[in-house]
Amino acid sequence: MTRLILELGAGNDLYGEDYTKAACRAVHDALHHSSLTLFRTLDLAHGDMRVNVTIGVQHPDRVDAALVAAELPRGKAVVTVVQGGQNITDPNSGTVSVIASAAVEACLDLDPNNWQLSQT
Amino acid sequence: MAKTRVAMELGMGSSLRRGDYTQAAVRALKDALWHNSLSMAEAFSFPKEAMIVDVEIAVQHPDQVDTAAVKAVLPYGTGAVTVTHGGLDIAKPTQNRTAGASNKTIIAHAAVLVSFDMERKTTTLAAAGDPA
Repeated sequence: MTRLILELGAGNDLYGEDYTKAACRAVHDALHHSSLTLFRTLDLAHGDMRVNVTIGVQHPDRVDAALVAAELPRGKAVVTVVQGGQNITDPNSGTVSVIASAAVEACLDLDPNNWQLSQT
Repeated sequence: MAKTRVAMELGMGSSLRRGDYTQAAVRALKDALWHNSLSMAEAFSFPKEAMIVDVEIAVQHPDQVDTAAVKAVLPYGTGAVTVTHGGLDIAKPTQNRTAGASNKTIIAHAAVLVSFDMERKTTTLAAAGDPA
C-alpha cells in the first residue's frame, strides 16, 4: 500500500466535553481541505483505498471509534485513538474545552510501473 | 491522457488589520498546503519537479494580489497563479476602525490543483510477458 496523502485536521467540542464529537469534527476538517481527484481522472476504484485515521485526544477511552469511522465517505477505514489533543480548562467556570487532532492517511495499491510521464 | 489532475487542496486566509489582499492570499495558500502532505510523485515514482501546481486565488479585488509573492510560497513544481473575483470583504463597524489600519476585513480562498502530464503505460503487459 502506497500512501497518497496525509490529511491533517483539528476539531473541538467547546462546552459538551464530548470527545467523539471533537474527533469527528477533526476528521471532517482533515478531509475537507483536499480532494483526491486521481480516482476520477485515472479511473481508480475508491473501494480499494485503505484509510488510516489516528485521533489524538486527552482521554482516548472516551472516543467512540466506530462513530469516527462513519465520518469517512470512502474506502476501508481503520481508526486508532491515542493520547494527544488538548484540553483547556476555564479556571473560573471549570468548563473544559476538548480539542482533538486528526491525521487521515489514504493508501492505495498503486503500481508505478503502470504509469509514466507523457512521452510526447 | 496529458495533463491529469491528481489532487486538489483548499484553504482560506484573512487579513484582519492591514487590508492586504496579497497577505490574505498567501495565508490561504499556506492553509491549503499545510493541511495536507501529498506523496503523489513518490506513489507514481515521478520526480517531484514533474508536478504541475496551479493555484487559483479568489478575493474581492484580484488586481491587488501580487501573484509573484503568492507563487513564492510554493516549495516546488511548475504552474500558474490565477486570481479571480471572489472571497469576501467585511466592513468594520466604525467604532472598530483605527488610524493606520484598514477599515475592512478580508477573506481569500485558495485552491491548489496538482497535476502531472502523465499517461497509462500501454506496453506493460506485453513487456512483462503476460499471456493475457
